Amino acid sequence: MKEGEQLKNPLETIESHGISRRDFLKYSAVAAALFGISEFEFTSKIAQAIASSSKKPPVIWLEGQDCAGCSISFTQILNPPASAIILDKISLRYHETVMASSGHLAEKVYHDTVKEGGYVLVVEGSVPTADERFCMVGGRPFKAILEEAANRAGAIIAVGACASYGGIPKATPSKGVGLDKALPGKAVINLPTCPVHPDHLAGTVLYFLTTGKVPPLDKIGRPLIYFSESIHDNCRRRAHFDANRFLEDWNNPEQKEWCLAKKGCKGPLAKSDCPIRRWNDGINFCIDCGAPCMGCGEPEFYEDMSPLYTAESEISKRIWAMKEEGLFARENS
Amino acid sequence: MAKKITIDPVTRIEGHLKIEVEIEGGKVKNAWSSGTMARGFEAMLIDKDPRDAPFVTSRFCGVCYSVHQLTSARALDSAFGAKVPWGGTLIRNLVMGAEYIYDHPLHFYQLSALDYIDIMAVANYKGKDKDLLAIKEKVVNLVKSNDTHPLTPRYKPDQFCVKDPEVVITAVKHYIDALKIHAQARNMGAIWGGRTPHYQNIVPGGVTSFPDINQVVRFRTMLDEQAKFINEVYIPDVLAFGTGPLWELAKMGLGGGHYNYLSYGAFEKDPEGKSLVFPAGVIVGLNPANIKVEPFDPQKITESVKFAWYKESKPVHPYQGEQVFDLDKKEAYSFVKAPRYDGKPMEVGPLARMLVAKNPQVLGLVKKGAKPGVVARHAARAIETKLIVDACYEWCDKLLSEMTKPGFKIHDTEHWEPPEKGMGAGFYEAPRGALGHWIEIKDKKIKNYQAVVPSTWNASPRDEKGVRGQYEESLIGVPVPDPENPINVVRVIRSFDPCLACAIHLIDPHTNEVRKFIIE
Repeated sequence: MKEGEQLKNPLETIESHGISRRDFLKYSAVAAALFGISEFEFTSKIAQAIASSSKKPPVIWLEGQDCAGCSISFTQILNPPASAIILDKISLRYHETVMASSGHLAEKVYHDTVKEGGYVLVVEGSVPTADERFCMVGGRPFKAILEEAANRAGAIIAVGACASYGGIPKATPSKGVGLDKALPGKAVINLPTCPVHPDHLAGTVLYFLTTGKVPPLDKIGRPLIYFSESIHDNCRRRAHFDANRFLEDWNNPEQKEWCLAKKGCKGPLAKSDCPIRRWNDGINFCIDCGAPCMGCGEPEFYEDMSPLYTAESEISKRIWAMKEEGLFARENS
Repeated sequence: MAKKITIDPVTRIEGHLKIEVEIEGGKVKNAWSSGTMARGFEAMLIDKDPRDAPFVTSRFCGVCYSVHQLTSARALDSAFGAKVPWGGTLIRNLVMGAEYIYDHPLHFYQLSALDYIDIMAVANYKGKDKDLLAIKEKVVNLVKSNDTHPLTPRYKPDQFCVKDPEVVITAVKHYIDALKIHAQARNMGAIWGGRTPHYQNIVPGGVTSFPDINQVVRFRTMLDEQAKFINEVYIPDVLAFGTGPLWELAKMGLGGGHYNYLSYGAFEKDPEGKSLVFPAGVIVGLNPANIKVEPFDPQKITESVKFAWYKESKPVHPYQGEQVFDLDKKEAYSFVKAPRYDGKPMEVGPLARMLVAKNPQVLGLVKKGAKPGVVARHAARAIETKLIVDACYEWCDKLLSEMTKPGFKIHDTEHWEPPEKGMGAGFYEAPRGALGHWIEIKDKKIKNYQAVVPSTWNASPRDEKGVRGQYEESLIGVPVPDPENPINVVRVIRSFDPCLACAIHLIDPHTNEVRKFIIE
């Protein structure tokens, strides 16, 4: 009971920043459990972090070979609302799609912030390697801007498949690469999936602002809290996979919930918490709209996932071979 | 003496754009529009399974994602000989409609509004409205903490910027509200699209999402909230600005351009597609008093690469396109090619659609003295958003009645396998304008893929005859009294809602020359 009263103050702080109390508690219970700290401790830390906004953490958001999809996904964060993050939580110094200034004014803010150092650097889009002129900003190659900004950043977050591992541009003639190749040796938090999941981004930024640390990552730089289980393990169509019921005809209501493996689903070899977290405020996610998982959180995306809609890709062949060997059999069933 | 200024990057648009203008006597004398980023998606698609194309081309752009997926699927529908069942078309229309409903207000509030208001006027708000006072406090605190990013720095507000604190603070409130409202509009699309950005449900032959009644009800309920915002906030705001403080800009016709307009047509109202929400048509040399609309003929589209970083070739139809990057080309200044219709540059987008449709509200504004240009573009965008909202209600009703019929279908399963060979074209209207995808299939694989997108039309460089693209032409004569503060230039460019990631392509269908492609 005592903890309940103690919670009151931090919660008021949080509410005053436009975050609903109910939603926050729901989120913090899960998050606290994942971070291994008490709910109270977590709530207090978050409240502290967002209340001490006299000096908001500066953020530079760079766009390379991108489609702005991750930026749009960022504005999908509803709680706290994206507007509150932009105006109250961070000092968004440079973001081409959002900022008021253009041209030399925009470039000046960028240079001043880099000089200051210690900012959070968010990168969207890949870096061309066939020729750096494939992506020029303010008359300079994107590659040079990225290296310069990375050198003085406090933390680097790659958002989306392109910035993480190269994504679709990796397969194009411009030979786009992710930060794993563009910034060798630099510590980067990777938030792949195409586009970035808004919760993955909000959670990672909040974690960093709260603890000053990078969340625990897997071997390829993805936060374990979001990327430790396969899509398949949490897929509600899994029973149909085990029973060999595969969707063949999207018109057939009887097959509507059957497994999508024959339509090219890569879920068994793709990691992400999409089936639990879902997308768009929990409204849906790829597999629930009858479409296969394309494994967009994996470094092999896109080229090795192709052909996307048949079971003939290298990844799909591996999935079928593993199924034949009984490697997906449930331990306790 | 002429002075050349460069704006790079042009922000609050999608993609990487550089604008250069030459100023003489306080006015723009000449202009150059350059796309400065390329990936080369179409080259990569060669030899892939054709069914990959809608998923991949969706990633042309994360703002107008679904329309690429849809237009690509339409090109495949035609190449595969697939007939999309009415149920599939209705769901395609609804998810596409949800994209319009978020995209247009986002353009007005998030991407454009800061060019038309003096945001710091908020501090002078004297009213008592609780919500508005909270916003005043927020902005005042930002100023006090000496950190007003990303709202500043900015170009200095000029005489056309609204400074009335009441109006400005309301606009800022709507800016913040709109962020939330358009996130909800994207959620509507996710009901069948799976997620946003980048829907997952549109495939050749139809859609993958077999609907249930609850989903239709949910979409409709969410649509009510969107309709309220569009009708009670967005449209009144645009009209209040356009016919009030910006009426001088409207009369001046700032940013008019070539006065040629093209619409491919979109949004079927019946299973045969006989009637469309946005009709197709072409207007050459607009005469507002007597608008002549010619039928659209896809064969008249060509692309010129004279001033673009591609290997030199004559202007050709997209089916015959055969371009290879040449980054050292002397006269080139853009990755965007120069599409032309019957040899002429065209404006595409909401204004083109509403003029081709002879929309009475847009014509009403013209009659009152608004010349086609910056203000008319914003007005047309708002007006057509309402047309889409109204159509979504009809499609919900039609889907409900259709899905309760026996044998209801969403997909042409008979035509799911790619043909040995074939060709197909898909045409649609993206929020930003006319969008075309072309595909050629050989041995069940993609032999050639090409897209000509709205911003390729609008942002195009000069063609082989030296004729400027629509952005460039629209800038001629634009007042720039202070070269340090070219606010009118960005107003003109942003009124088109540029989307540069979409606009840049590469193909090399026949020779597989991509592997030979050497830049040094």
